[in-house]
Amino acid sequence: MIKQDIKISNRLGLHARPAALLVQTAGQFTCDIKIIKDQIEVNAKSIMGVMMLAAEYGSTLQIQCDGSDEQQAMAALADLFKNKFNEEF
Amino acid sequence: MFVIKGVPASPGVAIGPALLLPSADFAITNQYVDATQIKHEILQFTGALEKTLKDLDGFEQKLRDTLGPEYANLMSMHKMILQDPMLKDATLRKIKQEHMSAQAAIFFTLKELAASFEKIEDNFFKERRNDIFDVGKRLVNHLSGGKESFWSSIQTPSVLIARDLYPSDTLNLKEHQVIAFCTDQGGKTSHTALLAQSMRIPAVVGLYNAFRQIKNGDTVIADGENGLLILNPDRYTLARYKKIQKEIKKAESLLKTINHLPTVTADGRNVQLMVNFDPRTDSKEDRKLITDGLGLMRTEFLFMNTPKPPTEEEQYQAYLAIAKRFDMRPVIIRLADLGADKLPDFPLDEFDKDNNPFMGCRGIRLFLKNPELMHTQLRALVRTACEVPAQIKIMVPMVSSVEEMRHVRAALDKALAEFEQEGKRPLNKVSLGAMIEVPSAAIALDGMIADMDFISIGTNDLIQYLVAVDRVNPEVAHMYDPCHPAVLRTIHQIIQTAHQRRKTVSICGEIASDEKMIPMLLGLGTDILSVPPRMFLRVKNRIRNLNFEACADAAQAALLAGNSEDIRKLIEQNQDEDS
Repeated sequence: MIKQDIKISNRLGLHARPAALLVQTAGQFTCDIKIIKDQIEVNAKSIMGVMMLAAEYGSTLQIQCDGSDEQQAMAALADLFKNKFNEEF
Repeated sequence: MFVIKGVPASPGVAIGPALLLPSADFAITNQYVDATQIKHEILQFTGALEKTLKDLDGFEQKLRDTLGPEYANLMSMHKMILQDPMLKDATLRKIKQEHMSAQAAIFFTLKELAASFEKIEDNFFKERRNDIFDVGKRLVNHLSGGKESFWSSIQTPSVLIARDLYPSDTLNLKEHQVIAFCTDQGGKTSHTALLAQSMRIPAVVGLYNAFRQIKNGDTVIADGENGLLILNPDRYTLARYKKIQKEIKKAESLLKTINHLPTVTADGRNVQLMVNFDPRTDSKEDRKLITDGLGLMRTEFLFMNTPKPPTEEEQYQAYLAIAKRFDMRPVIIRLADLGADKLPDFPLDEFDKDNNPFMGCRGIRLFLKNPELMHTQLRALVRTACEVPAQIKIMVPMVSSVEEMRHVRAALDKALAEFEQEGKRPLNKVSLGAMIEVPSAAIALDGMIADMDFISIGTNDLIQYLVAVDRVNPEVAHMYDPCHPAVLRTIHQIIQTAHQRRKTVSICGEIASDEKMIPMLLGLGTDILSVPPRMFLRVKNRIRNLNFEACADAAQAALLAGNSEDIRKLIEQNQDEDS
C-alpha cells in the first residue's frame, strides 16, 4: 500500500465537477483507493463519498492506494490535484 | 370549491382530473421479506440498477437532442450516483443482513445518504440531495418488475400538479396526456413556464403549497389567464369556465388571421413588435409568426449546467442559427446575465458567495471581473455578424454607470479589431446598447446615453429594484406593483431622455404582454415591445384595437397620479372606452 498527502489548490475545493473527475479517474484502476480527511475515510470510487468530504480550498487529504496498479493510480490522482482539475483557465 | 392564487405562466384554460407527480417521499409497501426471498430481492435490485442505467443513457441522449448538451450534463451526475459503490453496498447489506425488501433497502439507504449531505454547510451539496432522490425514484420505478411507470400509466387527459418540474419530467409532458400543469415553485420566466408556452398548454406556477391540498382525481381548473388553480369547482364556476374555454379557442383562431397585418394602432401609430426568443423552446407555430425581430435573447442557458464556459465556436453556432432564423431583422442578444440566481457550475474569478446576490456581482459586473468570458462572447457575436447580414445588437445587462458601458465598448472594439486583422468585417453594423434595470442608470441616463446605441427597459428587475421587493419572497411579493407611480414616471423619464437623443426604446419585461399595461406603455412613447412568442398575436391584436391618442392622454394623467389606485382607475377607464 502507498500513501500520499495532497493539498487542495483549486479555489472552489472539491465541488461537483472535480469530485466527478476524481471518481472517474479512480474508477479506471483496480486497486482500492481511499481518501482520508479529518479522520473521515471514504472510497475514492464513490461520488457521494468524495462529495461528503466537502474538502475546501487549502485543506489536506491523504490518499491511500492498495493493489497491483497502485503506483499508476497514485500518479494519475496526484496529477489531477496538481493541475487543479483543469479548472483555472 | 377552493381557489389558489399563483402566477400565470402560460395562457389558456384547462379543466380535468388532477394528477399528482409523485414526490421524493415514495411509499414502501412491504418493508421486510422472508429469508427465502432474499435472493429474489437482490436480483430485483441489481436488475433495477441495470434498467435505470439504460434509462439514464436514453434520457441523456434525448436531452442532448431536444434541449442541448447543457441539460444532458445533468444526467451524468445521476449516472455516477447510480453507480456509486456506497449505494450498492449499503443497499445489499440491508437486504442480506436485515432482510429488508429491495424497495425498503433502497429507500433507507437513500435517506441515510441524503441526511449526511444535509449536514454539510454548503447549499450546493445540500441540493445534491434532490439528485439522490431523483435517482432513487427511478430505481424504485423499476423494482416492481417492469410495471408501467408513472408517465405511461396516465390514461385520461390530466392536469399535472407538481412541487416543481425537472428537465427530465418536462420531456415526458410532451409525450403523455398532460393538458396543463401547475407547480408550487417557479416564476413567469422559469424554464417550466417557457416550456408550457412552447407546448401551448396552460400553466400556473408559484402556487406555494397547492400540491399538499390536492388529491389525485380531484377536478381542477388551471386558469393560465389569471394564474388561478380552482379545486373542486361548483357547477356554476365549471359552466363559466367551459364558456371561457370556448371563447379562448375562438379568439385564438381569429388571432391567426391578423399575423400578416401590420402592428399599428386604430389611429395609425406604428409600433414595432418583437419576440423574446429562446431557441430551446422554439416551435413550428412560433416560426410562423411575422415579427419585427428578436427583442431579447437571454444567453445564460449557454453557461449553465456545463463544466466549462462555452467556447467561441459553441456560442457562434448558437448565435448563427438564431441570426439565420431572423434573417435581416434586428436581433438583440443580451450578454450573459450571470450571478444572483444564475450561477454556473464552473468557477469564476473573484467570486465569493454573495449575501445579497441581486445587489451583488451579477450581469456586467461579473463579466468585467471575468474579462475572458466577455471577450469570448463578444468575439462569437462579432463573428456571427461577419457571416450573416443580421442586425446584431448587443445588450449589456445590469449597467449602473457610464464607465461600465465604456469598458464594454472598448472590449467590443478590441474584438472588432481582431476580426479586422483577419480581413473580416461585420456585414451590418454591430450596435451596443444597455438594458436599463438599475434605478441609477434610469435616473442619470442623460449622462450615459451617448455611449449607448439603443435602450431596452428590463421592467422585471427595474420594478423589483424601484420598489425594493423580491418577487419570489411570498411575504412581500404582493408589493411588486407595476402600477406604482414611480414605475411609470421612471419609464417616462427613460423614454424622454432617449428620444431627445433620437434613440429607440424597447420594453421586454412581463408588462409588455400585460393587456392592461400595454396602453400605458404605448402612451408613454415606447417604440418597441418585445414579448414571448406565445403572447405575440394577443399583444398585436391588443395594439391594433387601441387608440394612441387616448393612450397618450391616459399616460399623461397617470404621470400626475400620486398612487397606484388612481393609476389602476385610469387604466380601467381607458379600457371601458375601448370596448
